[in-house]
Amino acid sequence: MTIINILNLLGFRFFQNALLGGVIAAAACAVVGLFLILKKEAMIGDGIAHTAFGGIALGLLLGINPLLTALAVSALSVLGISYMRRKNVAPSDSAIAVMLALGFSFGLIAISIAGGFNVELFSYLFGSILTIDTFDLILVSLLGVIVLLFIGFFRRELLSLVFDEDDSRVMGIPTNTLSLAFDMLVATTIVLSIKVIGTVLVVALLVLPGLSALQLGLSFRKTILAAVGFSIVSTVLGILFSASFDVATSGLIVFVAVLLFLLTLAYKKLQ
Amino acid sequence: MNTMDTQKPQAEPILELKNVDVERTGDLVIQNANFTINNGDYVGLVGPNGGGKTTLILALLNFLPHTKGTIKLFGTTIDKFSAWQKVAYISQNATSFDSKFPLTVRELVSLGRIKKGNVARRFTHEDWEAVDDSITFMGLTEVTHKRIGQLSGGQKQRVFVAKALARNPEIIFLDEPIVGVDAATQEKFYKKLSDLNTKRKTTILLVTHDLTSVFCRMSKVLCVNKQVEIAQITDGLDPNALLKRAYGEHFHFVFHRHECHGVFENDHH
Repeated sequence: MTIINILNLLGFRFFQNALLGGVIAAAACAVVGLFLILKKEAMIGDGIAHTAFGGIALGLLLGINPLLTALAVSALSVLGISYMRRKNVAPSDSAIAVMLALGFSFGLIAISIAGGFNVELFSYLFGSILTIDTFDLILVSLLGVIVLLFIGFFRRELLSLVFDEDDSRVMGIPTNTLSLAFDMLVATTIVLSIKVIGTVLVVALLVLPGLSALQLGLSFRKTILAAVGFSIVSTVLGILFSASFDVATSGLIVFVAVLLFLLTLAYKKLQ
Repeated sequence: MNTMDTQKPQAEPILELKNVDVERTGDLVIQNANFTINNGDYVGLVGPNGGGKTTLILALLNFLPHTKGTIKLFGTTIDKFSAWQKVAYISQNATSFDSKFPLTVRELVSLGRIKKGNVARRFTHEDWEAVDDSITFMGLTEVTHKRIGQLSGGQKQRVFVAKALARNPEIIFLDEPIVGVDAATQEKFYKKLSDLNTKRKTTILLVTHDLTSVFCRMSKVLCVNKQVEIAQITDGLDPNALLKRAYGEHFHFVFHRHECHGVFENDHH
């Protein structure tokens, strides 16, 4: 890969779209993911990603844009998890496990009825940012802006909730509503990232940038900026390498993200 | 209002309990509690482990329902009370947070400025001034930009009080954090709380095991062991008779009021 090559690529519309979609998804994942890590609920990300797969299969079966059905089904699964927790039907991790299995099996049934696995389904499982169309790009941008604005406005309340839920309640933060809203944001973030990295690996983009940033021992403000930085670097490099070498984008993004994580670990050791 | 020479305000009840029972998983933990805490009181909440100290605090904050009687905060029944910005609570577990949590002292204290019904607002100059004032008041200026995980045990205790102070509460409920701090550090902490009580007129209700501090520094003692008994701390009070009722006949607390002067040399009052 030469510099010329990359410059050439940058001239293509499809490549510009891919980078734009990638950067938005990367930023949303990093921000939402950092709160998930601090809440010690990273696995809810994986759970929702699996139910999103069910939504995608449903969309493919019904001929509706799969991102829209994935958004609807993921939102329902968040409500389901929240209901099970609130009514004490199951502890958090078990509730997530139930929803994960239910969503995924639902997807398998929908796929069987639709006539089995096909290329399009694979593009949702593993991402296909280089072929993102205008509608999806607009959808991803819109959802990304919603997620980032929400977190921007409620960052202190979310931070307080994650740090000390009891005290947040005394201070008058509507903790239950805010928790539910946050889980909805997680679902939204996962759906908007499906085109970039796919449902299988999206949890990596949620968790790795935040984990790397946490190694640096910074203030909260700087930690969140560092997470966004790591996430965008991983995604952009992944897309560049992927377009140059014709290798799976999602695999490369995760690979770079893991590499950055190892570097931050080494940095911490050396300190 | 933050100056020392302010006249002591008229004693008005902030917290009133009448015939209150509190149950936890079916067991009666607090039985028929009756007491009043006034504006400006500094109350030590003592009693044996498992006697219901934390349960009582949780009921006062409406985290646990009471099964009988009435609890009034600032004159309003607790179920209808909404002015929570007047109340601050520091839980027993406050200081046992994840030491890698990415928060600086200033960031943590600023969370205390979050206001009910006005979420997602922009912080003003006034907000940051209140944050920095509380940091200074609690003697944490030199660690303002340090991560909270790097603080010493004593600093951790103080940083949570600073967070509570940031929103100028009228009453602070403090369930003594269990941290391994030495006696001198603990004494410095109680001194700070005394300052808070006398200089800012903040009403304090503190769960503690340090009986000497209670009888030397505080205005009232609340003994909790299922039954709740309150007493004004005066020269005439016999701590032993009171404590035996809460801790049992075998309990003996060696205490002479004149000893306070030796222990609490740098006192302002």
